[in-house]
Amino acid sequence: MSAIGQCLIAFIFGSIVGLLVQRSRFCNTAALRDAILFKTYRNTKALLVAMIILTLGFTAFLTIGEGNPMHFDVGLNTFAGLFIFGVGMVLAGACTVSTWVKTGEGNVGALWALLFTFVGMFLFSLLWSANYWPPAPASMTGEPNLEALQLGYANAATLQEKLGIPAIVFGMIQAGVLFLIYRAIRRKEEAQAERHRQATASATMAQPAE
Amino acid sequence: MPIEFFKKTLDPVIALSAIAVLDIFLFLQVGAWTVGGGETMMTGLIAQVFMGEELQRLPFWNLVFEPDPTYWKIYISLGMLFGAFVGAVLSKEFYIRFPRRLSEWVMITIGGLLMGIGIRLAFVCNVSTFFGMGPEMNMGGYLAMSGILAGAWVGSMVYKRILEG
Repeated sequence: MSAIGQCLIAFIFGSIVGLLVQRSRFCNTAALRDAILFKTYRNTKALLVAMIILTLGFTAFLTIGEGNPMHFDVGLNTFAGLFIFGVGMVLAGACTVSTWVKTGEGNVGALWALLFTFVGMFLFSLLWSANYWPPAPASMTGEPNLEALQLGYANAATLQEKLGIPAIVFGMIQAGVLFLIYRAIRRKEEAQAERHRQATASATMAQPAE
Repeated sequence: MPIEFFKKTLDPVIALSAIAVLDIFLFLQVGAWTVGGGETMMTGLIAQVFMGEELQRLPFWNLVFEPDPTYWKIYISLGMLFGAFVGAVLSKEFYIRFPRRLSEWVMITIGGLLMGIGIRLAFVCNVSTFFGMGPEMNMGGYLAMSGILAGAWVGSMVYKRILEG
């Protein structure tokens, strides 16, 4: 596909995503922060359902050698980078998606967060240019490189190649685990709702008759 | 599109299910949904406007991200901005709003900086984590999910402290 075709598909995809996220008020930050701080799971459930669909879809296509999976080595930097990101997104009150979506709604704070994300990226480029870590994609081998704190590359397709088990089998196991988490959240919500009903009922009964 | 769509809030489970199906289509065409890569390329392009040829003296912008306006990931972000703007205007939810307190500006500034540094250090963002690597069962997906959960927990504790004054 030509570069222009890729950009066009990406723009159409992004436009639909922006519209759906704006209309649903979905927020990845809230999916994690609200579950941790407020024990509410509106966004967490949506995230889990999407991951179940994606896991089954991606691994089904990886089984038959289709799709364009991400291809680069991972390591300590992957954990550390997302740790820093996780702290940042809660402080900023927005993630990479919601900064764009909220900016589209006229939120100047989100635009400010976006600008400083760019600044952060530029500052990191200065740091990287001084120490060359983590390794540049061209120097990645796909194998563990402990000296550079890299674990290499592995996904459902490489598991299929090494073990001879179709990628979709691993996908079904992961989807099953995600479903169990989803079901546990639903049960917790039902228990919360039941406690709320009981508390309301006893408060009503405790009121003196006129 | 029915007018009701712009009057009521959409169930996020329905919205994210639709996005997941579209993401599978994108995965087959070019690659899974991601935002951080496009933002980095935009950073490079903006820096190039200000620095010109000087930018090439920084190896990062030669070896990792060479500024290229035809990089498809940029257009996902621009599309999200456009889609959200259309949704907000049609549902009469578009209005200019500013953070009210200085502490909010400070938190947003620090948060934005940390997000930018974190994305580049990891080579992935939260979207790639949950909507790309994780579902591809990439080893990095599990590292990234552990990292973001730990970071969100620490961030939440800091946020709680600030809320409690």
